[in-house]
Amino acid sequence: MVKLLIDGQEVTVPDGTLVVEAAKELGTQIPVYCYHPKMDPAGLCRICLVEIEKIPKLQIACATRVTEGMVVHTMSPKVAEARRGVLEFLLLNHPLDCPICDKGGECDLQDFTMEYGPGASRLTEPKLHKPKRVDLGPTIVLDEERCILCRRCTRFDDEIAQERNLVVVERGHSSLIGTVDGGDYESYFSGNTTEICPVGALTSKAYRFRARPWDLGHADSVCTQCSVGCNYRVDTRFGKIMRTFTRENPAVDGGWICDRGRYTFNYLYESARVRQPLIRRDRELERATLSEALAVTAEKLGAAAAAGRVGVIGGGRLSDEEAFALQRFAREVLRTNNIDHRARLQKYASPARFGARLTDIDDADLILVFGAVTPEQAPILDLRIRRAVARHGARLVFVGPFKPELAVPFDYVEYTTGAIGDLMEALASGVARGVPDGAPFVAELSKALSDAGKIVAVHNGRNVVAATALERLVETLRGNDKSAGILVVGSQGNARGAEAAGCVPNLGPGYAPVSNPGLTTTEMLQAAAAGKLDALFIVGANPALTFPDGGLARKALETVPFLAVSDQLLTETASFADVVFAAASQFEKRGHVTNLEGRRQAFAQAIEAPVHVAADAAILAGLANAMGRIDVLFDDPDWLFSRLEMAEQAAGTKEPLPRPKLDSAAAPQAEALDAQRKTFAVIPVPKLYAGGGAAAHDPGLEPMRPQPRAIFSEDDALLLGIADGRIVTLAGRNGSITVPARIDARTPAGSVLVTADMPDAPVNRLLDASGTGRVTVTPAEARREVTA
Amino acid sequence: MTPERLARGQELIARYPQPQSALIPFLQYCQEQDGYVTLQAMKDAGELVGVTPGEVESIASFYTLLFKERVGKHIIQVCRTLSCSLRGADELQSYIKRKLGIGHLETSADGRFYYEEVECLAACDRAPCLQHNLEFHYDVTPAAFDQLLEAWQTQPPQPAMPAE
Amino acid sequence: MALFEPVIMKGIGEIDLTDIDVYERNGGFAGLRKALREMTPDSVTAEVTNSNLRGRGGAGFPTGRKWGFLPKDGRQRYLVVNCDEAEPGTFKDRMLLEYTPLQIIEGIVISAYAIGAKQAYIYIRGEFLNGSRIFRNALAAASSRHYLGERILDTDFSLDLVVHRGAGAYICGEETAQLESIEGKRGEPRLKPPFPAIAGLYGLPTVVNNVETLCYVKHIIERGAQWFAKIGPEKSPGPKIMSVSGHVKKPGNYEIPLGIPARELIEEYAGGLLPGRTLKAFQPGGASSAALFVEDLDVAIDFDSLGAKRTMLGSGGFVVMDDTACMVNCARTLTRFFEHESCGQCTPCREGGQWVARMVARLEAGEGSEEDLRVLDTINSTITGTNLCPLGDSIMPFLASVLKRFPEEFAAHIAHGGCPLKQTPVGAA
Repeated sequence: MVKLLIDGQEVTVPDGTLVVEAAKELGTQIPVYCYHPKMDPAGLCRICLVEIEKIPKLQIACATRVTEGMVVHTMSPKVAEARRGVLEFLLLNHPLDCPICDKGGECDLQDFTMEYGPGASRLTEPKLHKPKRVDLGPTIVLDEERCILCRRCTRFDDEIAQERNLVVVERGHSSLIGTVDGGDYESYFSGNTTEICPVGALTSKAYRFRARPWDLGHADSVCTQCSVGCNYRVDTRFGKIMRTFTRENPAVDGGWICDRGRYTFNYLYESARVRQPLIRRDRELERATLSEALAVTAEKLGAAAAAGRVGVIGGGRLSDEEAFALQRFAREVLRTNNIDHRARLQKYASPARFGARLTDIDDADLILVFGAVTPEQAPILDLRIRRAVARHGARLVFVGPFKPELAVPFDYVEYTTGAIGDLMEALASGVARGVPDGAPFVAELSKALSDAGKIVAVHNGRNVVAATALERLVETLRGNDKSAGILVVGSQGNARGAEAAGCVPNLGPGYAPVSNPGLTTTEMLQAAAAGKLDALFIVGANPALTFPDGGLARKALETVPFLAVSDQLLTETASFADVVFAAASQFEKRGHVTNLEGRRQAFAQAIEAPVHVAADAAILAGLANAMGRIDVLFDDPDWLFSRLEMAEQAAGTKEPLPRPKLDSAAAPQAEALDAQRKTFAVIPVPKLYAGGGAAAHDPGLEPMRPQPRAIFSEDDALLLGIADGRIVTLAGRNGSITVPARIDARTPAGSVLVTADMPDAPVNRLLDASGTGRVTVTPAEARREVTA
Repeated sequence: MTPERLARGQELIARYPQPQSALIPFLQYCQEQDGYVTLQAMKDAGELVGVTPGEVESIASFYTLLFKERVGKHIIQVCRTLSCSLRGADELQSYIKRKLGIGHLETSADGRFYYEEVECLAACDRAPCLQHNLEFHYDVTPAAFDQLLEAWQTQPPQPAMPAE
Repeated sequence: MALFEPVIMKGIGEIDLTDIDVYERNGGFAGLRKALREMTPDSVTAEVTNSNLRGRGGAGFPTGRKWGFLPKDGRQRYLVVNCDEAEPGTFKDRMLLEYTPLQIIEGIVISAYAIGAKQAYIYIRGEFLNGSRIFRNALAAASSRHYLGERILDTDFSLDLVVHRGAGAYICGEETAQLESIEGKRGEPRLKPPFPAIAGLYGLPTVVNNVETLCYVKHIIERGAQWFAKIGPEKSPGPKIMSVSGHVKKPGNYEIPLGIPARELIEEYAGGLLPGRTLKAFQPGGASSAALFVEDLDVAIDFDSLGAKRTMLGSGGFVVMDDTACMVNCARTLTRFFEHESCGQCTPCREGGQWVARMVARLEAGEGSEEDLRVLDTINSTITGTNLCPLGDSIMPFLASVLKRFPEEFAAHIAHGGCPLKQTPVGAA
């Protein structure tokens, strides 16, 4: 610890603390522009100059580290003069267009000028002009005249995102923020630059000219667009969401959010939003009241339940409270264990044991990823990986059926989804025996795992064999006094919360085993398709698009005599329904969600739901009431939460956690290569902005939405006689999709990479319930070709 | 990337412990051939040394001897700093601009001449001085410039920005 | 008066020292031989330290002490040789490069031996294409005779020397900017600490020395520290090349013993002023130095005496301005220079430098006002001493010194709406 004096006040801080941070301890604000606590000191803007006794020149507080006995003056006349000088320089050619600037009211240039700046400019010549309204791409507009060249944005893109596409070009006072050849600044993290910009240079297209910061209401919320659970603040005006803003939780998000999370809220105001319950009458879905919808559904579900022919799918998009309510509704009201939140490929939403924390990534030596494509499925987790690799020298090993584009160097091990289990088995036994063998890279990887001090493994909970082998591997490593842990990326934002709350057929809240396990999602769909179920209730899930065997899902939804769906949007699944409940969004209710590491976080309500829209908790309580069970569920998050906690305590489950029930479709099989190339193995490729719900309907995400693609290796494309951009039809077990072809050398031979979850070209037409499938490929006729 | 460029790039990389050190020499090499730093050269350079095209642009735009747009085949750079200014650089500059019909940082319509007023070239004892395609010319009077111009027009084509 | 017998300029203009045979016959590589065969690295360093040699690139930091900052931790270290001469008024390094490149190489090998560097880089200004070609030839010749490369002169010492050409940026003469540039980045000065001796090129301990400095190292080793230390003032000893330009009869590089009066340099070495002219101002150490005037002609040319006059020896770029020179015009030229060469990282240098240049240009054009003069007077303290590197500190000294000495000249520009001197430059008919 080091003791020093700042403006006459004594403060003791750890060795190596920056003067600017030491001053914060005393509540003394030293103005900064280029300095940002998350990034390396740059020392550029010079606004933070302070006087340090025994040093003749003023020193920058943002880069000077404290020393014992240091005497700092932050308010001396010399300091005041320097600050005034820097502000005078920054304002020289600044357009002073505060009245039309989005940053007005939360602008550090405005604030510091009021506090420390000169009263008027002494510039007598015309201001120099720079480009204004520069379109930086899908999310951001740049005003170079407002820019003070603090470089926070370019340093973010370099140090934090590790992407280095947003850069400083030219030099001196001609310097500009830009991209190569004026192209788009495309990044999953671009929105963060608008927040850390201390002035109005980088503004968000979604928020431009929409509100003043002092008019905004705030709600502390948690993002559920993926399972990382980043904390954010929802800013509202007149009951509408204007923007979202980071709300740093160092243990979860480190103060950053991704653009998918940041910009997904305008779908609420789109026509696809279900604003009123719908009931199918004469084949058409027609508007109805909530009581009508409740009455019809209660009757149909009640009858089906009485016959033991009912199923419930969903939970992963609900709050913890509502997931608890959903399983309670299934078990207590419908008297069935046919409840499952798993509407995708994921089988486990948590490791049975050895769970890691997100922060474990930060100082890991080796990060092993399989199954999950972290930048697409857990962007902020990926940001941590990037930093660990780039700044702490961690080794990143990615195992999977195709080589993804990652921002940092990594070792890629090509393994088909079905074979990853074998690899993990080999690694587990290699490490356990201490004699790595097998293929050279297996031996090398076993040795690397044995040698690393800290290991974090990240997977998607799809491959049961691999997950189990991994746990054995971690057990061995921990036995060897190594730090090792596992993270499972959830298939939905609250997949882990749903699993923990009991939305699985064999486990109740708190992983308490139930005596008579029900059907899994696959089994429910199979039963429905075979006419063995009378009613299905699907809550916040879209199996028509996301269930791997799309043919089965659609057949089940068509066949089942009664289908009730609760959702915010008229999804592919909802379009099959007999009753659609208009469900409230995350922003329109309060509660808790559990992130992928098992952290339960509270979120506040930001806005009121539209009049005829109800939270799922209310819908479930209403159904229970309508079915005569007035004491089972209440539309009260606090009541539900206390019951959930009580149930968890009662279960008292310890690790290893019991596993959710598997079904016959659990294990993807190792795919054999078709040497003749009559058929190709389909590899679904996840994309951050894909999906049929909010992603498909939010206008803010429209420019980022991916185009569906079928990607072939160069040799296979040659064999098929297709060029880049050629439209091809892929025909599989449940139908076909027609998409443009792309050629990418990274594609494994005999495989085709297909963008997953695209409503216009659903890859689940081509897959079976285990998520694998083979297709034939037919190039479209020449006249339908499009050029790239 | 052409095989020649790749080979040259690898040769340059081999001189240094880190590949990025070869970035500027590689751009100089490409510029010698293309007359300026093309977008393709920047992409090639990024790929070669492992940085993004954005970084290459950022770096290239810092240096005044790397041209991001096509310039004339004869690059004429006249010193404008103090010692030359004290000894007639201003008059020389006006003369050349009139003679060539172009201004500072401009290329003649026929694409032959590019004119630029540059900072001190470290030839202050022989002021005013200029560089033509990086070759020094000293004590340049308007009359001397006319002679130089004549000579340049008859000499065989040569790179405007030689790399090494 | 007898002029000083040149040391590192000896033979230049008389014999072809780029020819390795000629160089060898004229004492070439004697210092290298002595250092590698008869001395330990520590004794070479001690000799240089005892000579009190101060860096000839501009900052004047004692060379031996600079070498001594390298940590003895077994890490690889680099010698970077600064030949990015771009300080206006300075043209000595280019001369050394073009006329005596083998002497530079000899200095490099001795210095690398002293600091234990097996790898050296010479950063040659991009505009010096011809010089870099000459140097490459010299390098090849020296290598072929085992003065460079593996096991130099059959000793255990090996050194690889790589030529790295700049691409147009004055700021790359600043040592950390130069390291960035060699690493293939924008030539932007680094935040210090860490200093290059601890974390320099590629993050490893590095010494950056100017080519003139290294040439003197050769002679210090040959003739001994005492020979060098006894030339000139005790704390600022040795010979130094002064690049004299501007309004003198014989502009050129002159090697002088430090400590001679400015008057002697102008009159004895550079042939005096042009006929009929009187001295108005002179800049003793490049564009970054404050001007001195006729009343300062007796100032001794050395680091400390010039420092005492609130100017500096700098790189030795000595520019003479006679009564035909317009001070506002000179100030405009130099403020424009710094505006053009600012890397743009620091606010005061980037924005302040640009503002000052615009104001001075306006004053020169006769469109200035008294308010401009007041602003220029107060802006000095907010531009100077507030930046990350010395470039920002170089913007104001010349301007401030002439503004103080010749306020009437600035006022006249305002009053006359232009230059009242109607300057008639040399060379104009």
